[in-house]
Amino acid sequence: MRQLPSWQMKLPLPSLLALRYLRSGRRDAYVSLLSLLATGGITLGVSALILVLSGLSGLQDFLRSDVLSRTPHLEIEVPEGVDSSTLCDAFKGIIGVVDAQRILRGRGWLLFSGGAISVQVVGFEGQLPRSFPVREDSFADSSGAESDVDAGAGLYLGDALARRWAVSIGDKVDLVSPRPTLTPFGPQPRAQALPLAGVFRTGRTEDNEQRVAVPLATARRLFGHHGSRIEIKTNSLDTALQVAESVAAVLPAGGRVRTWQELNRALFFALKLEKVLMFIAVFLIVPVAAMSLVTVLALLISSKRGEIGMLQAMGASAGEIRRAFLVLGGLLGTVGLVLGGTLGVGTAWMLDRYQLISPPGDVYFLSHIPFLIEGGDLAAIFLATIILIASSTLFAARRAAALGPVEALRN
Amino acid sequence: MSITIEARNVHKSYQDADRKVKVLQGINLATEAGELVAIVGPSGSGKSTLLHLLGALDTVDRGEIMIGGQALADLGRRQLAKFRNRTIGFVFQFHRLLPDFDALENVMMPGRIAGHDPVRVAQRARQLLLEVGLEERLDHFPSQLSGGERQRVAICRALLMEPPLLLADEPTGNLDPVAADQVFELLINLQQRHGTTAVLVTHNPALASRCGRILRLEKGVLYAESYGPNP
Repeated sequence: MRQLPSWQMKLPLPSLLALRYLRSGRRDAYVSLLSLLATGGITLGVSALILVLSGLSGLQDFLRSDVLSRTPHLEIEVPEGVDSSTLCDAFKGIIGVVDAQRILRGRGWLLFSGGAISVQVVGFEGQLPRSFPVREDSFADSSGAESDVDAGAGLYLGDALARRWAVSIGDKVDLVSPRPTLTPFGPQPRAQALPLAGVFRTGRTEDNEQRVAVPLATARRLFGHHGSRIEIKTNSLDTALQVAESVAAVLPAGGRVRTWQELNRALFFALKLEKVLMFIAVFLIVPVAAMSLVTVLALLISSKRGEIGMLQAMGASAGEIRRAFLVLGGLLGTVGLVLGGTLGVGTAWMLDRYQLISPPGDVYFLSHIPFLIEGGDLAAIFLATIILIASSTLFAARRAAALGPVEALRN
Repeated sequence: MSITIEARNVHKSYQDADRKVKVLQGINLATEAGELVAIVGPSGSGKSTLLHLLGALDTVDRGEIMIGGQALADLGRRQLAKFRNRTIGFVFQFHRLLPDFDALENVMMPGRIAGHDPVRVAQRARQLLLEVGLEERLDHFPSQLSGGERQRVAICRALLMEPPLLLADEPTGNLDPVAADQVFELLINLQQRHGTTAVLVTHNPALASRCGRILRLEKGVLYAESYGPNP
């Protein structure tokens, strides 16, 4: 003869009822199918969210790093009439500043072999600015021989334009300024033939096709002193934000300091917005699954009406009945959440670790799609799912608790 | 342990579509502690409604019900649940056993609801099942028991907390005559042994005649019919 009650009989009443109802639900094919759909839906929603957000985070992280590697930490607009050379030296003396480089921005036309294109021209002093990552092979011509063009006197083109125009190192390209020179014969365009000194390649097609770099002296000759800027490199991105105030204090009136954040504000906002919108779009799977959860519970409550009535007759409170269905819904939802979390994190890790998604290298700037699992994303996914499961379960459980004993016993 | 019941001028009606149905119209009832009262009457006369009111499962429209001197109207929802758990045992026509629990667990349920120690509750449940001859059926689920066995388990469950009041609504109505007789005999036997006050609703005049007092409910009014062999 049985001597002891089963371990489940020692559980609090709501948990005991939830476990038994879960078992009884498994015996009913229809309830089983709906439970599977609800749990599966939550699993699918959570894993899809983790995969999409980690993919997006990976791509955005790559893009952000790429953009920041080409963005000056601080960019100073030098007021008209101020000697940028003196100012540059003053900036170099500020603690945290690693380097300061004078540049000049202007717009012009590039002409080569009958082709013409409007380009943004960046005049630089010393080394090429951070935004022009030079390809390692760009100083060799098509035959592989080293170029004899003076790197400080030539022009740097994006590799896409160089390829399209079939320009080789040393070939002369005409750069025309919109600022005319007044001569006795009327205004004449300012133009200069410059040899191709190197080719750069960035992740942005627009940069590769519409930006050129020339030495500062050449740029000044063509565009004058308007658009003069100083790019500052600091110890780190955080330092740049701290140093910005010291730089502004040195800057004469009419000048302007812009940090890397301000320079990329639109991009960073777009990236954030993209992530939020993707979260909302993919998260819509979870409410659908939560509705299935409500259906499962409603079905169980309906089939258990008589039992709920008897439990109330025996003295079970409305709170205990409500908690029983809360635990039941919570169990189904938690299984979906844990499965979805494991599946999503596992798949994202594998895709990243083994680089399983590789886009065509000649089209994209990436060798593989990186997946970055961020704690904040996981917390947001889990929290949103838990809130949704809890609220839909509570909705159903309250209906069970609202049944009066007589109403339930009439079943 | 037993308790008195007192119902004064109890009225109860239900809304059926746009029609108000008066089920009970001024019921007065008083029982002695330990008394066994049978309520008879035609279907739809309000017997079950009266039992639900006496069992604190429903509330009166008008009038007052006192169980052991406690006015039910003074208790809140949670207090009523606790009162039912400690004071009243129910036996219904359709056993109302929980299909996901075995016989022992079903009998244990009121004790678990009360939050008592599961091991001690199990001991008491086993002892009751032993008394009704179901010692071999402890781990059988309701679907594995016969109609009579299910009703015996339901009686054990009703008595687990040793309630001073037992309310039975057609406890043998769903059984064949032999099983009905056995279950009724058991019910009376246990009621007398435990000294419980009991109110029994039945259609069966033969079973009613074995109760201490018979009351007839007709058109919402309760009439004294007779005293049985055990007044």
